[in-house]
Amino acid sequence: MIGLGLRLAVAGGREAAVRLVVVAVAVALGTGLLLATLAGINATKTQNLRYAWLNTGADPSTTAAVAGVDPVWWLAREDYFHGEDLGRIDVAATGPAAPVPPGIPALPGPGEFYASPALHDLLRTTPAAELGDRFPGREVGVVGDAALPSPGSLLVIVGQPVETLAGQPAAAKVSRILTTDPANCSRCVVGLNDTMFTVTLSVIAAALIFPVLIFIGTATRLSAARREQRFAAMRLIGATPRQVSVLATVESTVAAVAGMLLGFGVFFALRPGLAAIPFTGATFFPDDLGLTLVNVLAVGAGIPVGAAVAARLALRRVRISPLGVTGRVTPKPPRAWRLIPLVAGIAELAWFVGRKPETTNGQTFAYIAGAVLMVTGLVLAGPWLTMRAARVVAQRAQRPAALIAGRRLSDDPMAAFRAVSGLVVALFVMTAASGAITSYVAERASPAGDSVAATSLSQTFWPEELVPGTPAPSISDIPAGLAAIPGVTAVIPVRENLREISSDSTSPQGPGLIRCVDLARTPEFGRCPEGARTVAVWSDLIGPREPGTSPDQRVWPASNVTDLDSLRLLSVVVQTDGSAAAKEQARTALATTNPWGRFPATEAEWEADSARTLVQFQRLADVVILASLPIAGCSLAVSVIAGLTDRKRPFSVLRLTGVRIRMLRAVVGLESAVPLLVVAAVAIGTGFLAAALFLRAQLDYSLHAPGASYYLIVAVGLAASLAIIAATLPLLRRITGPETARNE
Amino acid sequence: MNGATTGVMIEAREVALSFGETPALRGASLTVAEGEVLAVMGPSGSGKSTLLHCLAGILVPDAGEIHVAGRRVDTLDESARSALRRDQFGFVFQFGQLVPELTAVENVALPLLLAGTRRRAAVAEASGWFGRLDLEGLQQRRSGELSGGQAQRVALARGLVARPRVLFADEPTGSLDSLTGEHVLDLLVGSAREQGTTVVVVTHEARVAAYADREVIVRDGKVTTPAVAPVLS
Repeated sequence: MIGLGLRLAVAGGREAAVRLVVVAVAVALGTGLLLATLAGINATKTQNLRYAWLNTGADPSTTAAVAGVDPVWWLAREDYFHGEDLGRIDVAATGPAAPVPPGIPALPGPGEFYASPALHDLLRTTPAAELGDRFPGREVGVVGDAALPSPGSLLVIVGQPVETLAGQPAAAKVSRILTTDPANCSRCVVGLNDTMFTVTLSVIAAALIFPVLIFIGTATRLSAARREQRFAAMRLIGATPRQVSVLATVESTVAAVAGMLLGFGVFFALRPGLAAIPFTGATFFPDDLGLTLVNVLAVGAGIPVGAAVAARLALRRVRISPLGVTGRVTPKPPRAWRLIPLVAGIAELAWFVGRKPETTNGQTFAYIAGAVLMVTGLVLAGPWLTMRAARVVAQRAQRPAALIAGRRLSDDPMAAFRAVSGLVVALFVMTAASGAITSYVAERASPAGDSVAATSLSQTFWPEELVPGTPAPSISDIPAGLAAIPGVTAVIPVRENLREISSDSTSPQGPGLIRCVDLARTPEFGRCPEGARTVAVWSDLIGPREPGTSPDQRVWPASNVTDLDSLRLLSVVVQTDGSAAAKEQARTALATTNPWGRFPATEAEWEADSARTLVQFQRLADVVILASLPIAGCSLAVSVIAGLTDRKRPFSVLRLTGVRIRMLRAVVGLESAVPLLVVAAVAIGTGFLAAALFLRAQLDYSLHAPGASYYLIVAVGLAASLAIIAATLPLLRRITGPETARNE
Repeated sequence: MNGATTGVMIEAREVALSFGETPALRGASLTVAEGEVLAVMGPSGSGKSTLLHCLAGILVPDAGEIHVAGRRVDTLDESARSALRRDQFGFVFQFGQLVPELTAVENVALPLLLAGTRRRAAVAEASGWFGRLDLEGLQQRRSGELSGGQAQRVALARGLVARPRVLFADEPTGSLDSLTGEHVLDLLVGSAREQGTTVVVVTHEARVAAYADREVIVRDGKVTTPAVAPVLS
């Protein structure tokens, strides 16, 4: 029976071959996505392990003395270039048996440094005054991949004299290089929360695989009537139900195995492209996107077994008697109770507006529960909404196309909705994420490119970061040529304010002081109150930004300290014309003159980390939508083809009687487009509603309209889905030709 | 227009058609008068259905001429032939003609809707046929809820509702038992005569032919019985 099943599957005529190919393609898509997700989880863990050594010094286990090991003075800091992070490790070996970080053959001596390949390239192409001058000495080699989280990582390991580095308050004396996964290290400061990424990737995989499963299910129903006729004929000549079940299972399993193998091929072909997606904030080495033996075995065996089980389940829905299919389950119309979870989810989120839970756990539970209720509610309510929309279409139809399409949709709204249900989840998640992220960024007044937060650099000399015993920073610590750098428009010294910093947000009292005459020359940083001579400011002249106001509108509080010359220098703020060259040259000049402590940075660079994470989540949501819309389109197309095959005879007769092919095209178009567009509208609407309720409840923010990219992605995705549906239309002419009516 | 005679609805002259190497019609000639009920008989594979499809403009013959209501059909393009079928002809086939999603009354109304009639008017017009064809009360049934005879009567109503000039029926009782078949034929012929519709019915059953004004026999792709149409006035 298995042999017969195999022969029917691979040599059962054109329809069987088409079904085999479509199911195999659907399974290949699912396999590819599953493998990509597993590889993504593995790559995140591998990347995180590559971050591990950068936490050396932060974890107490590395600073404990080890017998026979000469300790290394170690100072890890964060510098910037063109807005990108540039990791800098200063090292000084105390002896020949010092531990060596991965990626380099030996520790660099004083006056030597190793650069990562990306930084090495930049050093070759960038004027030294903008970058190279920050690193004393000469480059002695390139940091190997073993030490790089990403192929594009900017990293430098600089050798220093022991006596210089030993005096730095932030430097640590380490005897071993840390290898612990940052996710398992509470003191680590560099690395990823890979549990979060695993959960996120799993959610994304679910959001992507859901439409693929629907696609597989729809594809197996392709030519179902013809297949069931064949099974009935076998029952007539004595095949048992079990034997028929074996045949169906073999057919599905053959397609699943073919699809699974194809999926592995797709995954390995796309792996370099996947590695270039920086979903953790950095791209991956292609080899990091690897699969474990367990992964391969689980996918290789699990998918065919899953397909076999699905085939048996699908066959249970119909009873095939020797006289044909009997007892086909007629779908009952969906009932209005299906709206309850959706309404409950909306109500739950709305209830928390003005009643924000006090604890983080409470907030997480409240919003996740609401979101889960809404997603579940959407999937449950979808068939009911499809039925209502279809009934309206059918009731109001004046043309046959709308009437036929409306009737078909309202007859079996479950099937119609099933094809687009993955899309609902994807559109909801994307819309809610886009709405929340856009609003968050807008409310936080993310600095525009021409705002002082992006154009001005500051270097702060925090007292606790200064080398004990060294003279306090003064005006003389400001590089002499700083103001002469092309593009630098102002150099503003800020003195230390000895008064206690007020935490009162209505009357902020900054840690710095500036003369009003100096502030008047740079009005973009705000102004003094009437009559004031000195004002208290933040060290970067910007401080915590207030929603809805720009820095130039700020009125700094007056100070009664007038003798600023006697006070130590707290920071130096350099205003530029915003050009990258001016900023990098100024940064290099400051870092060269004052090489210890924190590196100069713009406010935007400080904030970039959190903004980057948000943008990454946005990008992931975009990937979900871009992938799931065409998959939903495929499901729709296959269900359209299945519907056409079922109605081949009456449609052919209609054509024979002179009905224009465009009327039949309109039927097909409406049957696909109505659920697609209705469901898209509902998912988008509820997504925005969820975002608005969350923002109001948690942050008391209003919802802001997402940027053009959101609309573009939704439009491109919907257009791609409609294009896939349109691609099935030529089939209509062929399968409803006069010969169908003549010969069937 | 050439050769068309007043009172003649259909005229076929030396029509030939092959499917690949297999000839289906080898010079079939036929005339059908306006309002006539003609039975086209013949054994399986004789070419009778192919002849009907040629007369109805579904197939284009390789040779010969076909005129319907004074208009030459075989030289028309697909679009014009479709329009002709839609506007001038009605069809009844053996089975599987009803759109499963639509109710019986909507199936009957379909030709009117396609012609641009408003839905309410089309459904009202279609409903009128249910009483005439003993289908009262079945208007809202779907095709799956109708018996074979009922479905065939609904198809007949659909074929006649737009008051076509010619009704082509291909084995209209082929899937029905003899009693039901006779009932359907009674209605088919009666309704056609009532509105003056010309009927060409293809059948291999002698009892069906008995309902016709005249019968012709197709054998080996030729109309073998001399077919001279009585011109009805």
